[in-house]
Amino acid sequence: MMTGMERLVAAIDGTPADRIPVFCNLLDQGAKELGLPLEEYYSSGEHVAEAQLKMRAKYGYDCLWSLFYVGKEAELLGCRKIIFAKDGPPNVGEMVIKKYDDIARLQVPDDITSHPAFAEELKCLRILKAEAGGKYPICAYLTASMTMPAILMGMEKWLQMLMMGPNDLRDELLTKCSDFFQKQVAAYRAAGADVLVYSNPFGSTDVIPRTFFNELSLPWMVRDLTPGGTSGIVYYCGSARFNNVIRSVIEHLGIGVFYLSPMDDIAEGKQLVAGRGLTCGVINDIMLLEWSKEEIRAEVKRMIAAGKQGGKFLFGTLVMPYNIPEENIRTMLEAAYEYGSFECP
Amino acid sequence: MLKQVMSQYNEAIMDTDRDRALQIVHVAVDLGISPEEIVFNVVVPAIELMMQSISENQGISLAQHFMAAQIASEVVDEMVPLFAKAPEIVGTVVIGTSQGDFHGLGKRIVSGCLKAMMVEVIDLGLNVAPERFIDEALARNAQVIAISSMMVHTATGENGCRRVRKLLKERDLEDRIRIAVGGAPYRFDPDLFKSVGADGWAENGVTAGRVITDLIREVRR
Ligand code: B12
Repeated sequence: MMTGMERLVAAIDGTPADRIPVFCNLLDQGAKELGLPLEEYYSSGEHVAEAQLKMRAKYGYDCLWSLFYVGKEAELLGCRKIIFAKDGPPNVGEMVIKKYDDIARLQVPDDITSHPAFAEELKCLRILKAEAGGKYPICAYLTASMTMPAILMGMEKWLQMLMMGPNDLRDELLTKCSDFFQKQVAAYRAAGADVLVYSNPFGSTDVIPRTFFNELSLPWMVRDLTPGGTSGIVYYCGSARFNNVIRSVIEHLGIGVFYLSPMDDIAEGKQLVAGRGLTCGVINDIMLLEWSKEEIRAEVKRMIAAGKQGGKFLFGTLVMPYNIPEENIRTMLEAAYEYGSFECP
Repeated sequence: MLKQVMSQYNEAIMDTDRDRALQIVHVAVDLGISPEEIVFNVVVPAIELMMQSISENQGISLAQHFMAAQIASEVVDEMVPLFAKAPEIVGTVVIGTSQGDFHGLGKRIVSGCLKAMMVEVIDLGLNVAPERFIDEALARNAQVIAISSMMVHTATGENGCRRVRKLLKERDLEDRIRIAVGGAPYRFDPDLFKSVGADGWAENGVTAGRVITDLIREVRR
């Protein structure tokens, strides 16, 4: 049997494997696994690492996550209030930027790794590395400079500033967020993360018009990624569609892994990537709350049939909702292992 | 001339150029086009045109929705006080995000579009308790409660739409008040609105305007 890492490498290189890699993004479910309330669960890197290892072993998929929740990044920039739900992801509960003056005051920590908000994640990463390093890819989640302000000032105010200015403040904030990104990605690489999910809904023309993508999104992504390079970087637009920018992303950024939207046409995406990288077909996991066993199998089959031919393909989920029944998770995974297998390994 | 204003305004909206859109409106008013014509023959048709482009699948981005709603709402605020007589209000909506949900962008876009369609919008803000939706709807004589949610657990949770439905039933208010929902989870699962007990949903702000005005008319009939 191959390990998850061997499958991922085979998929990237286009070499033979027993099956396609399968990424199942279970985050909040870890609390259920350990029988803990979410807030207590997320207070400790040991908990998260233990649950990540347990869930991977139990279900047999190919990835591990060091991400707790996206709001953690706002904590690194000064947010002190996170709102915990009992059956869903934690959310930022305080805006670090309440008024424009706060932008000048925003401070990017010199050394992210010594910041208290990073300590538990670092602990988690160390345990994952020690227990499964090299065998199962460890994924980290990083918010792009252009998306970061959404959790610092709210999506509403940020979109307003992006579209209507003032542009000098917008650029000051973007510069700080981009500096933060550069430090963060370096810290995760140093701590041993293998897969770096670069999350940027503003890299999708579902969110911004094409001209804006060319004139602003692309240059800021170039700035984010230039010092560290694109090794391990995954292009992801928060589940917004991006097939129509794949060519530009390859040409201008050199990213080689594409985590599509469930609404993107998988076959088309793969055609656009054209052997230059790994295409990830992503299931609309919100439907796993409702679909029957037959419906789940049929959807997994359809998706894999659209992407598997010729390899360089991965099957994945979004941020799996907390209440998806365990049986449905298993049904999806079993179908993915079955339809995703290659006859001659 | 009105035609020309319309097409210039549409273009500015699609280009997300607020200053240009407002300038077009101001020049048009100076040239003698009435404030009523600006709202009903320029601003509202621009929203409807957007609706049509969406149904024809010509990718309209979130930023364009946002700007269309933003500009429409600004123009309406400016023009309505200049109307020869106060406009007839289609109806009243109370809108908010569901309990536990602090994401207000969807609500803002929906509100802007509703305003342009002469619907009175009462914004209850973020993290609204189910009881408050009902109390405010009654106090304001609203025909529709509109609930926005960005996450699955706030859309389907027991303190969201489901509870609002239950309260309407218990208090025998179902003839008087309809529920509309929206937000990301409903776009990923188009049948979700039924399982949370809503009467309607919309995929985006501009279609929300139509869905909600239809619900208002149902109640008013
Ligand atoms: C941008 C985005 C982000 C950004 C910004 C988030 C923010 N603070 O606003 C970032 C990258 C930071 C982010 C983070 C997270 N996100 Co997010 N994000 C998105 C994305 C791509 C768009 C959301 C958005 O702002 N849309 C713009 C608004 C205006 O659109 P809308 O709300 O859908 O509203 C429109 C319509 O729905 C309709 N409408 C809205 N309300 C109403 C109401 C009525 C009555 C009517 C009729 C119509 C209507 O009209 C609106 C205008 O057109 C979506 C995926 C997607 N494609 O939608 C995921 C998504 C919403 N995120 C999701 C999640 C889970 C998260 C996190 C919780 C992840 C985590 N575990 O930490 C965090 C939360 C961060 C926080 N707040 O602390 C999930 C939610 C589903 C779920 N599993 O519960 C989604 C759907 C992605 C997914 N499929 O997994 N996210």
